[in-house]
Order: sequence, then structure tokens, then C-alpha cells
Amino acid sequence: MRLKPFDDQQLEANRSRCLKILVVPLLCFAALVARLFYLQVVKGDEFVRKAEHNRIRVLRLEPPRGKILDRDGRILAGVAPSFSISLIRKDVPDFEALIQELVKLLEEDESKIRARLYKGRSLPLYRPVVVARDVDWTTVARVEARRWKLPGIVVEVSPKREYPHGTVAPHLLGYLGEINKKELASGRYPGARPGDLVGKFGAEKEYGRYLRGKTGRRILEVDATGRLVRVLREIPPVSGDDLFLTLELPLQKAAEEAMEGKVGAIVALEPSTGRVLASVSTPGFDPEAFVRGLSTQEWKALNDPITHPMTNRAIQGQYPPGSVFKIVTAAAALEEGIVTANTQFYCNGHFRLGRSSFRCWDWRGHGYTNLYKALVESCDVYFYNVGLKLGPDVIAKYGFGFGLGRPTGIPLSNEQDGLLATVKWKRQVMHDKWHDGETLAVAIGQGFTLVTPMQAAQLIASVANGGTIYRPNYVEEIMGPDGKVIEEWRAEAVGRLPVSEGHLRMIKKALVGVVEDSKGTGKRARIEGMTVAGKTGTAQVVKQEKRRQDEKMAWKHKDHAWFVAYAPAEAPEIAVAVLIEHGGHGGSAAAPVARKVLEAWREAHLPKPVTPVIHSAFMMYGGGQP
Amino acid sequence: MTWRSRMAENFDFSLLAAVAAVMACGYINLRSSSAATGFPFAWKQLQWYVVGSVAMGLCFLYDYRKLVSMALPLYLVTLGLLVLVLFFGKTVGGSQRWLSIGVANIQPSEFAKLVMIVVLSTYFYRDDLDSYRLRDLFRPFLLTLVPALLVYVQPDLGTCVIILAILAALIYAAGLQWKSFLILIGLFIAGLPVGWSLLKPYQKARILTFLDPERDPYGVGYHVLQSKIAVGSGGLFGKGYMAGSQAHLQFLPEVHTDFAFSIWAEEWGFAGALFLVFLYGWIIYRGLLIASRAKDRFGAFLAFGVMALFFLHVVINICMVLGLLPVVGVPLPLFSYGGSSVLTTMMGLGLVLNVGARRYFFTEN
Repeated sequence: MRLKPFDDQQLEANRSRCLKILVVPLLCFAALVARLFYLQVVKGDEFVRKAEHNRIRVLRLEPPRGKILDRDGRILAGVAPSFSISLIRKDVPDFEALIQELVKLLEEDESKIRARLYKGRSLPLYRPVVVARDVDWTTVARVEARRWKLPGIVVEVSPKREYPHGTVAPHLLGYLGEINKKELASGRYPGARPGDLVGKFGAEKEYGRYLRGKTGRRILEVDATGRLVRVLREIPPVSGDDLFLTLELPLQKAAEEAMEGKVGAIVALEPSTGRVLASVSTPGFDPEAFVRGLSTQEWKALNDPITHPMTNRAIQGQYPPGSVFKIVTAAAALEEGIVTANTQFYCNGHFRLGRSSFRCWDWRGHGYTNLYKALVESCDVYFYNVGLKLGPDVIAKYGFGFGLGRPTGIPLSNEQDGLLATVKWKRQVMHDKWHDGETLAVAIGQGFTLVTPMQAAQLIASVANGGTIYRPNYVEEIMGPDGKVIEEWRAEAVGRLPVSEGHLRMIKKALVGVVEDSKGTGKRARIEGMTVAGKTGTAQVVKQEKRRQDEKMAWKHKDHAWFVAYAPAEAPEIAVAVLIEHGGHGGSAAAPVARKVLEAWREAHLPKPVTPVIHSAFMMYGGGQP
Repeated sequence: MTWRSRMAENFDFSLLAAVAAVMACGYINLRSSSAATGFPFAWKQLQWYVVGSVAMGLCFLYDYRKLVSMALPLYLVTLGLLVLVLFFGKTVGGSQRWLSIGVANIQPSEFAKLVMIVVLSTYFYRDDLDSYRLRDLFRPFLLTLVPALLVYVQPDLGTCVIILAILAALIYAAGLQWKSFLILIGLFIAGLPVGWSLLKPYQKARILTFLDPERDPYGVGYHVLQSKIAVGSGGLFGKGYMAGSQAHLQFLPEVHTDFAFSIWAEEWGFAGALFLVFLYGWIIYRGLLIASRAKDRFGAFLAFGVMALFFLHVVINICMVLGLLPVVGVPLPLFSYGGSSVLTTMMGLGLVLNVGARRYFFTEN
């Protein structure tokens, strides 16, 4: 593109206009420089005095953090005032003397105090650096009494967390800890300064921006000795929003008690919505310890290489689902037309494939087995037959359809995907081709397949509610300090099970049989007065040949025990997944735990059974066997 | 000689160096503001500098002469965005200026300034009179009035005034007859009372406080008073990096945006302030030199317009910080925190360098 150029006269006119106008910036900049010179050099000293005299102190007023409550408004994590001793370095004439004085006052190690001060070294000199956090009243009184000897020391009041019901669902609630450099730089914590407490985990982290509140400021004028002359302006802090969780405290407590001494996880969901009613991961931890500061011993315990208390097993623990997965295989077989309700396979206790033999968990065999029996008695051979016909990719496809192989989307960080192996996956990741034996393993939920307890709970909840997959969520409501609801519960359907209504009904019937039939593997979850449906699962930890389920086996070689269940079977209101690491059999280790959870739920929600006699008779009928 | 080496030969490296130096100072300064407020301004600004540099490069490489045919679509898109922001904009501090586009918020009024320079330069290039009388100015005035009014109702008085000032600057470059100039001045003075009545109460309060800063030392006058103390107490060599008590004790509001210069002056003193003012002066001098040497009217006006815009921002902002003008929300180009401002400024400077580097294309043919 060519533009019309200037002719000579225009060129000259333009040149002169552009250069003449240079006078304007020149004059303006001269004026600016003159003004700067006047302010900074001529009047400089006066302004220095003014700035010094600006004995205005800006105090931060910490807002109370929002409370975390259960569904019924019981406080899980509340707030209480806490006093900390801070130091404004600018006002300290003699550091060493002050540190000695502090050592005496706070009865703490000199090195600890120095370490605290060192942490705040990058802060501007005017910012208070926390020396001792959460000190008791007597210490505050002692410090206040010696204030005149401690120039630069201030007592700050800030809210701290308190847990009126003890440690409840620590993995879900999360904990507070001092903000670190990375977090400061991330921009997710506007206005934060080193030493501030921020949510590090769980709800405290994910909903930190609601819980945090707004820092207030009090602008004070003080005299040369630091005493208050007057309050110039006060911007009050705004408390954080309250977080109502979907948890039910009694249920949560019962679930935690049921898991005591065991390593594993429980997730209980409301099938019709995806509300998390209870979420347990054991072993747990004490959220207060992080604010207090951890001792070496506590730190070691929290990083135990076997139990990993800081891992939220409900979303981060990945385990082979074992026979729980048979729900998926069964659905696939029905949908793909490989079996009908009446199709039978003969089980004599093992299955031959080429030159190897694959065992059913029950070496005696199940005889002729249809779908109902295969699920109730968890016959492996039936599913070996079915699985081989389906092939790994179809099985995986249905697995995805049931919400496995990807995070459930619960708003928590670091949720694991689980794993559904396909032929392509094996080629790409393991650089190997798929073997038929692996198809057999995958068909009964062993081998490559991995599932988190949250996924298992979502799966069984979707089966319970008739096929809708809901995203699990644990926040019922977020309420502002003025009582206004900021965010309300909204069930979020994310998919449908790829199963027709009729087929799902058949599976559900079998799941009732798992618990209620005399030969059902899950009969230990039976509850008086409420029909329970479920599925056991036993996830192999070591290879099948070496498998021996006896007491002598080392704990770490024992199988993981699964149980997924829902109740009441007719109109499900709770779905639960229990996983016990190295617990042994699903039926004997996990089912009783699930029963305790379901009982606790019934206790809270259903009237006591009116005809106890009949039910106890019913119990005798099948309850005697181990 | 190829056109590439021609462009390299005429490239104004000293202008670019001054721009880079201002950005470096801006980043250093924002580190201090970040420490004072706890917001990661510096880091975000660094990202904007990178984005801005890319945009600057593109504006430099794109043959500016093609912009003549782009003026109309640019104008219409900008008007569209300005209307859009009135309906869907994000409201911050009482005025609706931001459009959210997923990753970032953009401020269409910032881009409107740049687009108006292109639009008016195109107009004057096409119109091509040797000097202008009042009646010749009706159409460019109308062209300017529409976006200016759209910005005014946001409300964003500062940007509105600046858009009108761009028109004034380009009229100067086009050559105004003396008689018309005097009539305009007369009209301006006569219009002042009307203008005053159009101002919002808080805008009036700012002007009154400017005229009498002690009127309300803890309210509207607070900013200016604290800013003056900050600058003044910096003295000859400043209080040292990260040691500005005014900023770090949080006496100074907006230390990262409009009052960025005052924390700079506090921490680096008269010497530092002088250095920065010199850099700005140098950029403006080199920019106007490019405008004066341009070989076509469009290029000359483009460069002149961008430099006028740049100059206005610098002077208004620093005057405001030094208490020489009432507080209007005008950022210091390349120095204050703010993505849209960095982006448009760098794009504008890219165009100026573009005009400078391509000035011998005409003599070739």
C-alpha cells in the first residue's frame, strides 16, 4: 500500500509544527522538575518531619474466619480469639536486649524466637512480625505489664480455629497454616502477609476466599512514645462467610468410630443429590497442630510412609475395586446382549484359559450360575466367561460410563483419576500387548483397574438412584455474615449410567440378595428393620497363586476389603462405600463397618422398627454364619 | 539495500531503550508496592510487559500505511465494545469500565484512545487541507464526540477528557487558523460553567479539594496530602528501596496504580524522580522527532497523536501525584500497574517506531 507523500511545503509545515510543540513538553517537564525540587529538596526536611510525625499507625483488624458447620448447623470448626505477641522492628532500639527479655517473658527458646524473626526479615520494618502465636492470658498480662520495657512489642488479637466436637473429618475440613512464599506469590490471597494463616487443605483451602473475610484497618495517631492520641479512622473487619457442609455430624462420628484402628476410607452419599453425608479417611490428624507448630515427633507421625495420615484416602487412595466392579461387568454383559437373566455358566471352582487356570474365590465352585447368583455369591468364573466375551475395551467403556477412570469432580484438590485399562493404554504406557488373562482380571475388578472410594460411592449412589450420576459435593450452603445466602446447594447431574432401566432393576435385585440372601457375601451388613443392598469386594494385593487368607499373613500382604451399599433398598437415601486397607475379605471386614454407618443413619432418620420380634427371627435365619 | 536493513537503519534504538528502562523501573517499583500491599502486582505486570512487548512487535512489523483502510472497521468495533461495556461491563468502584474475556479483564476505553488516533489521523490524511477553519472541524469533532460520550457515561471523566484532548492535539498538527483558535478558546471558557454542572458530586469534591487541600485532610484530600508527604520526605536520594514509610505503612492508597510515582519518589528521592522524568522526556522528544520526519501525513499524525497521548498521561499523572492537578484516574504509562494501559501504550509506541523505521520507503520508489 502506498500513501500520498507530503509535498515539500507540507513536509516543512509538518516539521516545524512538530518541533515547535516541543516547547510544551519542555515547559511542562521543567515545571514538574521544579515542583519535585521544591517538594523534595527545598521542603524535603519539612516533609521528612511530617512523615516521621505521621505517627499514624495502621493496625490490621483481623476478621473472624467463617465457621464450618454441618448440615444441621452444628459447629465443626468455630472461631475463638487468640493473642499473639508481635514485634515492630522499626521501633526496637536494642534488639539483643529485647530478645533476652522475650526469652524470659515467653519462656521459649532463644533460637525459636530468632527463627520467627528471621522468617519475617523480608517484611518492611514497619510491619509487625509475629514472635509468639496463640499465647495464654497470663503471658499477655505479663507482656502488657512490662510494655514500657519492651519498645516495639505489640499484642495482636486474631481469631483462631476451635473445634467444639473435637477433630471431625479433618481431611474434608482441612486445616490452617502459615502462608508460604509460593502462596503469597500466587495472588490467591490478596492482602496477605507472611505469618498469616491460610487454608492449606480441604474446605479451608478450597473455600478460603469465602471463609477468609475482609481485613479491617484502624488508623491511629500515636505520640512519640507510641501511645494512642486518637483514632483517626476505622474500617471494621468483615467476618468470613459461614460454610454449611452436607455432612451429618452423628453419621460422620459413627463412621469415624467404625473405622477406628483401621486404615481406609468411608464415603457416604445421598444418592438422589450427590451430597456427601460422611467422609472418613483414617488415620486422621489434628488440624490444630499445624497452627500450634508441629513437634518433630508429630511431623514424623504425619509422614508415616505406610499410613500417610495426610492423604485423604477417600479421593486420593486408589485401589483395585475387586468384585465391586462386577456391577459394571454385569451391566456391560446385559447391555451388550451377552447374557440375559437366565444365561448360565458352570463354575467348578476354576476357569481354564490356555494352559493356565484361574480360580474362583470359592474353590468348591458355584455350580450352574446365572447373573443373580453370580452377583449374590460373587462368582468369579461367571464373570471370567462374560469378561472374555466383552473384551477389555468394552469393559473399560462401561467403567467410564459408571464414572470411573476420571475424578468425580468433588471440589477438593488432588483428586485421583483411578484407572481403567484398555488395549491402547497398555500399549502406550506399558509398551506391551494385552493378554487374555488380563481380561479375566479386569472383569472381576483386579489387575490394572483402580478406583477411589469416592468413585465407588458415586457408582453405588448412581445405581441406587436409578442411573443418574451426580457430582459429589460437600457444601450445602455458604452464608454471609449478614445471614444472606451466597451460594445454595445445587445438585449437579454429570451423566447417566449406560444401563437400561430393566437391566438396572435386575442388578439392584441381585444387590439386595448380596445382603439379604443366606448365601450372600454381604450378609454381615444386614440391618434389622431396613433392607440393605450392597456388593462386597476383595482387592488383591499380591498375586493370586500366593493368596492365602489366614491370620498368619503379613498385614501388608492382606487384601483390601471393599463394601459398597445403599439403603433402604426400596427408596435409597444413603449410599456408602467402605474401603479397609489390608482388611481381608470385603464381606467380613468391610461389610460390618458399612452396617455401623447405615445403622447410625437409620438411628437418625427412621423411626424405630415397630415389630422387633419378627426381625430378630429374621436375623437368626441368616445371621449365624461368619 | 533491502527494505529490512533500511528499517533497521532507521530504527530508533534510543527510544526503545528508554521505554525498556521505564519498564524496568516500573517493575522494581511494583515489587515494593507488592510488598506493601501483599498483592502480586509485580509478577502480573511482568506478564503484561511480555504481552505488551509482543503487541509492540506486531504493531511495529505491521505496515502502518495499511491502517488507513482499517480505520473504519476499528472505529465501529470500538464503538461496539464501548456500548457492550455499558450493558455487560464489570462494575468496579462505581463505574462500568471492564469487559471480562475469560482470562483477563479488558478496558475498551483504553483501546478507544489508540483507535481514535488512527481514526482521526485517517480523517485528516484523507481531508488533507493545509489549514483548518472552525467549520472544517465539524466532522472530526462528531467522530470524536460519540466515543467520548460513551466513555463519559461509564463514567470515566478522565478518559473522556483525554479523547477530546487527542482531537485537540491532532487539530494542532493539522494547522488551525488563528481566528478559529481564538474562537475555540472563547467557547471553552464559556463552556466551563456548563461543564461544572455536568460533573458528579465526587468529581466536584476532588476539584475543590485540589484548590484547597486542607479542606478535608482525612477524606478526599487525604490521597494528595499523603502523596505529597511521600514525595517530599523522599528528599534528595530517597529513603531506600522497600523502605518508603508512607507506602509501607499504607498511608498511600493506590500505590500500585495512580500513585506509583509517589512511592518511587519516596524511595529513590529527587535523583530517582529526575531520572524517570528524564526518561519520559526522552521518549517524547524522540517520538516527536519521528513525527516531524515522517514523509506522509498519516504517519506524521499517527506518531504525533500517540506521543500527545503519552505526554498527556505522563504530565497529568505526575501533576496529580505532586498535587498540581486534582485527582483523576490517569495511570503513568508503562509504570503504573494495569494491563490495558501497558498494552495500549506499547502498541502505540510500536506504531511510532513503525512510522520512524519506514520513513524512507517513499524515497525509494
